[in-house]
Formats: sequence, structure tokens, C-alpha cells
Amino acid sequence: MTRRWHMLLALGVLSGLPPARADESVVNSRHDLSASGPGPIRAVEETEVCIFCHAPHNAAPQTPLWNRENPRTHYRIYESSTTDARIDQPSGPSKMCLSCHDGSMALGNVLSRRQSEPIVMTARTIPPGTADLTNDLSDDHPIGFRYDRALSNADAQLRPPELISRELPLGAHGELHCTTCHDPHNNELGNFLRISDEMSAICITCHDMNGWLHDAHATSGKRTPGRAVDPLAPLKYASMRDNGCLTCHQIHSARRPERLQRFATDEETCLRCHSGAVASFNIAADIGKRSGHQMLSRSGIHDPAEDPFVMRRHVECVDCHNPHAAASSVLGAVRGTFGQTVKGPNLHVSGVTLTGRQIEDSQFLYEICFKCHADGASRRRIETPRQATQTNVRLEFQPSNPSFHPVAAPRRNADVVSLIAPLKVGSVITCTDCHNSDNARSAGGSGADGPHGSLFEPLLVRNYETADFTVETPEAYSLCYGCHRRESILGNESFPLHQRHIVDLRAPCSVCHDAHGIYRGQGNAVNHGSLINFDLSVVLPADSPTGRRIEYQDTGRLSGSCTLTCHGFTHINFPYVGSPAGKSAAGAWQRRIGTR
Amino acid sequence: MTGDTGWLLGVGTLALASATWAWAGVAGSKHDFAHRDWAGGDTCGACHSPHHEEPPAAAPLWDPQADLNRRFGTSLVGGAQAGAGTLICLRCHDGTIAKDAVSGQVRARFVHTASPGLFGAGHGTSDHPVGIVYPEGKEGFHPLNVVLAKGTVTLPDGRVECTSCHDPHDTSGAPYMLVTSNARSALCLTCHNK
Repeated sequence: MTRRWHMLLALGVLSGLPPARADESVVNSRHDLSASGPGPIRAVEETEVCIFCHAPHNAAPQTPLWNRENPRTHYRIYESSTTDARIDQPSGPSKMCLSCHDGSMALGNVLSRRQSEPIVMTARTIPPGTADLTNDLSDDHPIGFRYDRALSNADAQLRPPELISRELPLGAHGELHCTTCHDPHNNELGNFLRISDEMSAICITCHDMNGWLHDAHATSGKRTPGRAVDPLAPLKYASMRDNGCLTCHQIHSARRPERLQRFATDEETCLRCHSGAVASFNIAADIGKRSGHQMLSRSGIHDPAEDPFVMRRHVECVDCHNPHAAASSVLGAVRGTFGQTVKGPNLHVSGVTLTGRQIEDSQFLYEICFKCHADGASRRRIETPRQATQTNVRLEFQPSNPSFHPVAAPRRNADVVSLIAPLKVGSVITCTDCHNSDNARSAGGSGADGPHGSLFEPLLVRNYETADFTVETPEAYSLCYGCHRRESILGNESFPLHQRHIVDLRAPCSVCHDAHGIYRGQGNAVNHGSLINFDLSVVLPADSPTGRRIEYQDTGRLSGSCTLTCHGFTHINFPYVGSPAGKSAAGAWQRRIGTR
Repeated sequence: MTGDTGWLLGVGTLALASATWAWAGVAGSKHDFAHRDWAGGDTCGACHSPHHEEPPAAAPLWDPQADLNRRFGTSLVGGAQAGAGTLICLRCHDGTIAKDAVSGQVRARFVHTASPGLFGAGHGTSDHPVGIVYPEGKEGFHPLNVVLAKGTVTLPDGRVECTSCHDPHDTSGAPYMLVTSNARSALCLTCHNK
């Protein structure tokens, strides 16, 4: 065989043989930078494939016969408030990859050639684009940290290294390198991945996110038309399930570096799909309503590692939802039963318990609400002026309180005779029974459940008038009447003077009742039973023999007395006694509205 | 281009020069030392010694001055044991021995005075390991029978030696005296399944 023959062969390869389909060999993969390589970046003449990285002689004294200088770049490395890894500057094989992929070094500069005679390439360095990671690695999946037992012990959502290292090799000291996920010689799966990223397979080899296997984002077959979700970097696969992690995360050059998010804010990440485009319910339609969790106006503050007691005031989707564990199912315990745990969309979300303890996994929905509406310094402090004012919602719902709506525990108050089945004395409700989108599916609407936004303040599922002299209609107190039968209330089945106060004197429910509850530290059962906590903007003190005071006294079943001034009337120890004839009174009320 | 010029330029630039050579074989190749003053007109004598068949007289009749048991400046890969197909090459190519130590005539000339031990042939060093048993069954390598079936790479005693990839007689005419052309890295990929 002559040298000329070889030259002819080489020329033949150069001049026209079509590159074979990329298979499991580095030859004809995008890492084949030889003159007959398939990509736009290749040598002008060099026909060898391995030589761009390896040389049999005169290589760097670095396995595997490395034929390139290491880059001397100082990299900006990945930072995250939630990582337990100690991330260092890249080393070892990662630096080898970066000798091309940080864009700083000429592709044709190899140790086996004199510097003055590099391999002539179609591009001197790797051109800007997805393969150019630059010296800013803060927007790329971290490398250069030890993936050891200490790390997997510290982060329960990482699998132990010995379970992953067969599939995804770690460095000599257990470090994670580029080569952990990528096999530079094999592009069978695309992006030189060692395991496919379809259905997040490669990600979940290490990342064991609580609840992910049942998460809607991992299981939904909804179509995700690439550019519709992300016009800048189209999604790789056709369905939510197949894209998995990649729907929200970009492993390299993420637009939001911390946590490698695809979009600039949490809200954009969520609303790209949850605005009618992909997901079933259009959450965007509820945001911006008159009253709501204004996710868009306080974006970018949330941090998964935040302390709810001292965090800045904000609300974002991920405060209440865990996108790695949110199941779409809202099936759960029957409404009203005690022990209703959080439903699908709120699974695996952190919270604050009834006793004020921070927890990783909320069991009850109110624990999620307590993060912001209880002890936190950032809680809303606007409250109707009352005898006992309280803006810490956790305290308002304590089961040991003189009275409370049964959110955190059932309440056995036989005086409540108005409940609409299936609710009964002893039932338990949730925050979202009252605070919910006005178009919530659970309240008969067509929108998503949950307190995203409502026409009714303060984020109420139905209308609830609190202004004095409100004319009573079913709509005015629609919120209350959803559980408390209007006919019973206005029929005086419990308080015998309900109709007189609400209808005749046009006092709203909220003048006498404080919906959440009265904290035991601020009142006793005698003065604050039945959620009585007078609105001081309407109710004034009365001069009584024992001084000026506003006072309600519970004196037994359906009975009590009041000392106060209201609407020009003064009650001093004004007694009332509920009657067993309440039911007939209700009948009289019904006859009366029937004649209107 | 004369052999002297090519020698001085070294192995690195041979690829360009090779295109001008119209024939293959040791005669006229850079291993043809016939016209060197120390070789006394003997093309083969630098390596072969037909009349001094002292041990180790294994074929192909190595020059008995070649110390086939010598030690190297740089250790071989753990467990490696260089065979004749490596040692006879390193006699000149490790740069620590007189290349003209032929048949008893010794003149103190060195191949690489500046960097003795250039071809250290160790693991984690700059050169491909030699003297290693072919890693049959290891991931990333073709099975031994597949390698040998190609008829290019040889594995004397199942080991990788210099002569596995290089043909000192330059029979193929490929650059770097390779046993076959390394276009498309064909030679590398004979063993390496990458």
C-alpha cells in the first residue's frame, strides 16, 4: 500500500462521501472535528478524529493521553441557597471539556503540534451558542463538587452516590464532572448524554424529588408545543411528561441561573403553561383580580430556604405549590370531615404548624397559609378594629380559643343549628372554603380551585359585605349563607334577634362576629363565645352601672346578654333567650319573604 | 527531502513530508541508516545482527547489544512488561542510550540529548502505554479477535508494543511509520471502541 494511495483515499473522504448517521462512535458524531466531520465546526485538512483530544505521544501528562492545554480561565461557579454541595472550580476531565467549551481556547491548538502550526479549523474557537458555556458556569449544572454520602445525607432529595455511579461515573474522589452526564465519545442519545433525558431519566438518577413520581409535571400527557411554551429555546419533547424537568429547567445557560430555571421568574415559569396554553386551568385569569395573591407584583423574592418568620413580604406560586410534587388530583377526604390533609396541588409544601413550628411537609392546608398569615413579620396587619384585634391567624384558630371557625379542629357548639349538610356540628372546614377564587371549581365555578384571585375581598369565594347599613340579600352575605342556611339565620333559629339586626337594622354579620376566631389570650368563653368580637367602628360602649363598656355575655344555650351602643340603641345587660320554637320562627320568616 | 532533514524536524512534521515519498519499505525510509557513517553501509545492522546469535536470540535476530532487560527512566504502567517489540525501539527512542552502540562499536551519541527518556511509556504520562496486556473485555475496547481480524495491529504475546502500531520497516508507507493509515483515526479505533 503506498502513501499516494492513502492520499487518494483521504481525498475521497474529504470530497464527497456522505457522513454516516451519527451512531455510537465518536466518528461522525459532532465531536468528530476532522475534515470529514458532520458539523460546521471541523478541520480544514486534518483527517484524524481522536487527535483533537488525544495523542499517542507527546500528550499532556494527564490521563487519557490528553492532547490539549488546560484552560487557565477562572470560572464563575454555580450558587444556590438550597444546595448542600461545596462547589469548587472545575478540575480534571471537566477542565478538558472546558478547553473547548468555555470558548477561550483555539480548537486546533493541540500539544502534538507546534503552537505555530495548529490544526486549521473552520472556526478558531467554539462559536457563541449552546455549546459555548463561557467562563460563567453559574447558569450551568454545578460540577466540581464531591457527590459523597455526606452530601446525600445532607440533602434527602439526592440519592446515595453508590446507587448512581454505575450509570453515571464520578471522578476519582467522587467529584461530579461533565463526564458524569456526558460521554464525549457517544452521541447516540443526543447531547452526548449517558442516559436519555426523556421523562427526566438522567436527572432522576441522582435527584430524588419528594413526590415527583406522582407529580402532574412528571405524569401529564399534555402536549407541549415547543415554541409555544418557550419561543427562545423550544422544548425537546412533545408532551409534558416526556419533557419532565426540562419543561422548567435548563441544564446549561439557564436564563435564571439559581436553580437553573428556564424563565426569568417563577411566575413566568408557571404561567407559560398555566395560562390556558397547556394546563387545564387558566391561573392567569385569576391573577390581577380585585383581591388576590398578587403573584406578579411580588415576584423574585421567594427563596426556598427562607425563614417564614423573618422573610420579606411576598407571595409567589411556589410559596403554596411544590412543582416537583403537585398532583392534579383534588380528590381527598369528604368536605367537612376532620383530618382533611392537603390535596394534590399542595403536596410537599413547607408550612408552620398550629403550634408555630416550621415544617418541611405541610399536613394541613392551613399550615401553608400560616407561613405568611401567622407569626411572620411580613403578615398583613390590617384588621377591622375590634374588642380583641389579632392579625396572627394561627392564634385566631387555636382549638383552645373561646370560639373559632373549625379550621384546625372541630368545634362542638350545639348553638350552631344553621349548617347545610354535609356540614354539621363537629365538621372541619379549610381556609379555602371561604378564601378561594370566585370562579373556583369547588364552589361551582369553572376555574381552578385555590385562593389565586377573586372579585370579592378579602380573596373570598363569594360576596361578604361588611359595611354598616347593608341591605340584607342572599348575595350580600353569600359567603356565610354558603354554609349557614339563610332561612335558619333569618328565622332566628339560633340568635332570636338575627332577623331584627340583619334585616331590619341592616347590621352586617361582621359587626358582631369575627370570622376566624378570638384568641384565648385576648378573651374568654363567656364574653367571646359564638365568634362575638364587636366591630368598634360600629359598636360603641354603653354607660352601665359597672362603667362604660362593650360586653357580650353567654348565659347558656342560645341565650346571652349585651351591653353596648349601636345604631343609636343602648343595651345594658340586654338579655335574650333562644326558644325551642326557633323552628316555627323560621317558618314565619319563610312566610314573610314569601309575601315580599 | 533528505533523510537528515526529516530526522532533525522530528516525528511531528512527518505527515506533510510523507506525501512526497513514492515508495515504502525500510530502504530509503528514515530507518535506513545505510549512509550514516557509523553504520558502515549496513541498512539493517542498527537493529539486526545475523551473526551474533547470542541470547536473546529470539527472532527476528535482535542485535545482542540491545539490552532487552534494561530499565527505563520512567516506569511502565503497573504490571506492564515490555517485550522485544518495544525494547528494541526504545534502544534509540528513549534517548538514553547511544544509538550507535551497534555490534560492539560504541560512540557516545544520543538521540535526544535534551530530553532523555522522552518515550517513558508510562501510565498517566505523555505516551500511550506499552508492554500492557491487551485489556480484553474492558469497556471501550474491541474484542481481541476483532482487533486481530483487521490484520493491521499486532499484539505480540497478547501485549501492546510499539510494533503494535508502528512498523519499523515502514511497509505501509503511512505517516509516522504506522502499520496503516490513521485517517479518520482508523488505527486508534482498531482497538478503541469509541
